[in-house]
Amino acid sequence: MTQAQAQDQVTVREIPAARLATIGWLVLVLVVAAVAAWEWKMRTLGLQAGDLDDSKSQWAVERRKVADGVHDDVVIIGSSRILFDTDLGVWEEMTGRRPIQLALPGTNPRPHLKALAENSDYAGLLVVGVTPDIFFTDWPGIPLFAGLIDFWKDETPAQRFGNRLWVELQRRVAFLDDSYRLGTLIDRSVALTDREGVRGPQRDVWKLAEVSDHRQTTMWPRLEADVFLRDHARWVWGPFSGEPLLEDADVARICEETRRHVEMIRARGGEVVFIRSPSAGLYFESEERGQPRARSWEPLLRTTGAFGIHFEDYPEMRNLDLPEWSHLSGASATRFTRAYVEVLTREIPWLRRSQPGEST
Amino acid sequence: MVFNSLTFVVFFAVLLLLHRMPFSWTTKKINLLIASYVFYAAWNPPFVILLWISTLVDWVVARRLYESTGVTRRRAWLLVSLAANLGFLAFFKYGEFLLANWQALMASVGVTWVPPEWNIILPVGISFYTFQTLSYTLDVYLGRSKPLNSMLDFSLFVTFFPQLVAGPIVRPGQLVPQFAVPRQATSGQMLWGFGLIILGLFEKIVLADSGLAQSADAVFGAGKPVGFADAWLGTLAFSGQIFCDFAGYSTIAIGTALCLGFALPENFRMPYAAIGFSDFWRRWHISLSTWLRDYLYIPLGGNRGSEARTYLNLMLTMLLGGLWHGASWTFVVWGGLHGLYLAGERWIRGRTGVKGDPVGAQNRLALALLTYLLVNITWVFFRAETFEGAARILQGMAGLAAEPVAVLPTIYMIKVGVIIAGMVTIQWLMRKRTLEDVVARAPWWLTGLVAAAMLFAVITTQGSGEAFIYFQF
Repeated sequence: MTQAQAQDQVTVREIPAARLATIGWLVLVLVVAAVAAWEWKMRTLGLQAGDLDDSKSQWAVERRKVADGVHDDVVIIGSSRILFDTDLGVWEEMTGRRPIQLALPGTNPRPHLKALAENSDYAGLLVVGVTPDIFFTDWPGIPLFAGLIDFWKDETPAQRFGNRLWVELQRRVAFLDDSYRLGTLIDRSVALTDREGVRGPQRDVWKLAEVSDHRQTTMWPRLEADVFLRDHARWVWGPFSGEPLLEDADVARICEETRRHVEMIRARGGEVVFIRSPSAGLYFESEERGQPRARSWEPLLRTTGAFGIHFEDYPEMRNLDLPEWSHLSGASATRFTRAYVEVLTREIPWLRRSQPGEST
Repeated sequence: MVFNSLTFVVFFAVLLLLHRMPFSWTTKKINLLIASYVFYAAWNPPFVILLWISTLVDWVVARRLYESTGVTRRRAWLLVSLAANLGFLAFFKYGEFLLANWQALMASVGVTWVPPEWNIILPVGISFYTFQTLSYTLDVYLGRSKPLNSMLDFSLFVTFFPQLVAGPIVRPGQLVPQFAVPRQATSGQMLWGFGLIILGLFEKIVLADSGLAQSADAVFGAGKPVGFADAWLGTLAFSGQIFCDFAGYSTIAIGTALCLGFALPENFRMPYAAIGFSDFWRRWHISLSTWLRDYLYIPLGGNRGSEARTYLNLMLTMLLGGLWHGASWTFVVWGGLHGLYLAGERWIRGRTGVKGDPVGAQNRLALALLTYLLVNITWVFFRAETFEGAARILQGMAGLAAEPVAVLPTIYMIKVGVIIAGMVTIQWLMRKRTLEDVVARAPWWLTGLVAAAMLFAVITTQGSGEAFIYFQF
């Protein structure tokens, strides 16, 4: 039969003359056994059921709470530090409010500040985490979370439903962890020498955190204890050149842009505060050389007139445990949150006068 | 919704259950129709209206065409269908492209005109279902078939979810008669259908998304000149990615339909084992190439006119085929290159009198590799977003890049090498065989082991439900 004839004739599909039922049973038995073994192996590596991936969809769930206005209106934006270093439960315990966690790993919060200021009626307390080598640059962030600002509106019904299913599965199964997919493990398994200038999967950020409901993100316990993983993470953050990322004029431009957005939120009755979370070791030294506090953090507070918490200014926020120099351990994150919320409660009238569930 | 998502797993499980319940055949077809609308609406509910309009217009037009006798009246009715279907396509898919080109044209004659901001979302799969409904109306217009009597059957033909958004583009004669009588998959069809779904998911999730996409993205997104090895490996990676992505979709679509008791036609037949370009197009996206042949190339005159006219028809068909893929001149160039290849092959065959495959295994293999190599050059224009980007890659492939940067990590280079070598070898070995034939001859335990390994890889690789590349076309 020619192809032309085939277009006009009813399609018939051949079924292979094989023992398909036997094959089906074999596949079922082998896959169930292999997946069970895989799950066991992943648990021995420290993965746990209930550790949810931090995905675009999970972020969108939280972002929609801001749009819907059904949640307490303290919102946190920033990069991974304020994400890891904030204990949402402590916030709620101390203020009666559970903040909406919108910080994103490896992402510049300034576009999110701009979106909240210009394209929403948000009038709550906005906590902005400042990681100097991200905030004071024009780098938008890692591709994983690119285009996220409008994703909460554009997410399809199928994606929303799929995310619900995915979360429910992850509550029961450990091996679904995004950082331990088979393909990812293959990429990392062989330590090959890469060509000059190429960053291979060995230099990717490996698993750093566990995530639970409301995007509560906590350092992965294994990372706190495993010297190899800890050292790997430190190596990835390198090379700690301490090179300035931007000129002073660019920093001034960023501060001015931020001031405009802060004022827009304030004009609606909201408030904005900045938090510089701890860093340590070579990472901290490199940040101080590249974006010294006097030429980045101070101009930011001066220009915006906003209140800011720099961890160095508060004894209770110093000497905390940062296993890989950039993020606090779980226990230290709780201490840090308690310390900074205490300061905010004392210094920010908005927190005292506004009751949970209503804006000023 | 996409096949590689948990949402689809639940959707399909519910639908299979409904389809095996003791309902009447009409009820089952209504279930399938509603499910197909849900499947489509899961992306963007309002766009279902486009499907309804397209269905209604072609239903009415086909009947009017059949009842009308005057040439003018028949042409007028055909124009209604073309205007509605191609109008939607032009507006949603080519609107921005047309405005941008109009702006450039105006600028070339000294007129400054700024088009309004274009914020229109492209309805998923619009090119596929537009061609499918058009084939129905065109067949009635050309007297090849009669209009259908059942609007339910016609609606299901337009909307049948397995092939709705990325093909295979099915002709009425291939699918509609299957709706006439009650169908329920036999245990063999069901098992083989699931086997095809596993194979398709493996191609999509494990090979395309996890194995090859990173390398293609890194090279084509480098934004700087890349060297010989990176340029070739990035392009080869894309050749594998697009095959595994699209053939994977078609395979899942065929498997899904089979589980419901329906047969969809083959859309790929080992294309990278093709010897020559007419052979390639008999193996790559078969449902599109045959559609273009039957509704564009042949109506243009095909090869019935002069030699020059045949070449012109060939080029026009391939240029429009390129534009079908996307609103960009890079796609037109991709189609144009294939047109030139086909014309060149036709010219060589005409001068040498060679028909069919060359004699000798070595000659066949050499020509197949040459075909694959030349196809890879076309993929550069298909994947690059701009001509500058394409030029950078082509310079790298020719070893002419100035101060090239290294892009690919060593492990990615190894992965691309292994997957592409494996893919091309398997396609070559299966060049004249079908999967069904291979499975029938293989020991049952070997088939089981391979299928289990593929399913295990799918489950442990997961993926975040990335959309298939062809959804955007």
